[in-house]
Amino acid sequence: MNLRRTTIIAALLVLALYGGLIISLGWFLKLSTLHGMLTSVRTLFSIQLSLIAATVAAFLAILLAVPAAYALSRYRFRGREVVDTILEFPIIVSPAALGAILLIFFNNPLGEWIQAHGVRFVFTFAGVVLAQFITILGVAVRLLKTSFDEVPLELETVARSLGATPRRAFFTVTLPLARRGLLAAFILAWAKALGEFGATIMVAGTMAMRTETLPIAIFMRLAGADIEGTVALILVLVATGLGALSLSRWLLGKVAHA
Amino acid sequence: MHSAIIKILIGAFALGGCLSGAPARSAESLLIFAGAASKPPTEEAAKLYEQKTGVKVDLVFGGSGSVLAQMKLAKQGDIYFPGSSDYMEKAKRAGDVFADSEKTIVYLISAINVAKGNPLGIRTLRDLTRPGLHVAIGNPETVCVGAYAVEIIEKEFTAAEKAAFQRNLINYTESCEKTATAISLKMADAVIGWSVFEHWDPARIETVRLPATQVRRIGYIPIAVSKFTKNNASARRFIDFLAGPEGRKIFARHNYFATVEEAKAWLGAAKPVGGEYTVPPEWIKK
Repeated sequence: MNLRRTTIIAALLVLALYGGLIISLGWFLKLSTLHGMLTSVRTLFSIQLSLIAATVAAFLAILLAVPAAYALSRYRFRGREVVDTILEFPIIVSPAALGAILLIFFNNPLGEWIQAHGVRFVFTFAGVVLAQFITILGVAVRLLKTSFDEVPLELETVARSLGATPRRAFFTVTLPLARRGLLAAFILAWAKALGEFGATIMVAGTMAMRTETLPIAIFMRLAGADIEGTVALILVLVATGLGALSLSRWLLGKVAHA
Repeated sequence: MHSAIIKILIGAFALGGCLSGAPARSAESLLIFAGAASKPPTEEAAKLYEQKTGVKVDLVFGGSGSVLAQMKLAKQGDIYFPGSSDYMEKAKRAGDVFADSEKTIVYLISAINVAKGNPLGIRTLRDLTRPGLHVAIGNPETVCVGAYAVEIIEKEFTAAEKAAFQRNLINYTESCEKTATAISLKMADAVIGWSVFEHWDPARIETVRLPATQVRRIGYIPIAVSKFTKNNASARRFIDFLAGPEGRKIFARHNYFATVEEAKAWLGAAKPVGGEYTVPPEWIKK
């Protein structure tokens, strides 16, 4: 078997695995339930909430991740290794534990002060965004650091030798060259935020029309032993997520290749 | 090369099987799908039963509805032990349990739960309508303690009081345990939960009793044999053990009401036990 065929089979196997799981949902699918879900105000709210929260969280994460990743890629500074190690912290501790850690933080004096004088996160939309942001930040920095690592330092040096300031070299040379990695990091962070459940439910609760994201709505259906409803909502999440990702890949791909 | 890959895959699957948490099923074992709310006493009772009889008791804990769905999808399990009666009614209607095997293990009474020391001086149900208070309840759609709370609010409050309460209602919790945790972690100033919550976290939770007139029903936790059991007799023996003196003693030590008489004595009045309450749609958006 040649390399081409082997690798293509592997790629198709990935599709078969995930596609097969999605198709298997049909076993419990009731079209009337799916129709009811798609026309319910509650589901539409959950879709809207999930899309907005994931987008805000991903933007905020990228906003912080870009400078942080650049520093990790280009500079040697005290604490660099610690920062680099802690990026995997949200993955290691699991989303539910991350949510518990956030709740415990809001029990500390600083957390209490923030909630009392700043923004109330517990049981609110801000809590949904915070839980997602904390979950995806580490992975966004990791991906961006890899992208910056791949941009040759020499190109920045040449720009500097031609009179560009470090800031100008970053914005006109490094960032444009890392744009594919930037887009990939945003898309992955967004997708992870959209499907985030453990930390979100811990921090933001389950109230419909307030903080019920699609993953939480799925959990609540399952918690109510409503398997048909669970299946219908999973399909809504899959369609929403994959549809939005395809659209953004198409749009952003145009930008990346521009 | 190919055989090496196949060997690795076989090895990985074998290792996965060895390491997986799937309980080994045998004639001397029972698989119980249980609501997480009664985890500590259930684990204690299961351990004692194992010591006494040699029958291995495997426990799968989770939300009452989640474990019911798990039991149905896995098509296995010997006993269903939800955290509340409404899920047992659901299981009985769907034919997922043998209705004749159902027994009540403990009783529960609705109460207000606040932070230890009651720093905000919440003494009555109407105090929960005070402006600026943050109140939470279990999600009445899936968490029975939340449905009990809604019933009390609907029957006790005037329209204006209900509106004031709903303004204070910051969110729903996803489970019975999380309703108690909302107080432990100061997520809310007060919840309408069970009186037993203060014993789950005595250092942080305090129960404020509701007068007997405001408590509409006494909650209870039932248990029954799953229709997927392959060992009906053994499952029934475990239920008899749990409902018997030794099982009741364990639940009483964890401060549950082991008999309806104890619950009535604490409340100071006789009330209907269990039953279902239909939560008004305004509490559950569709």
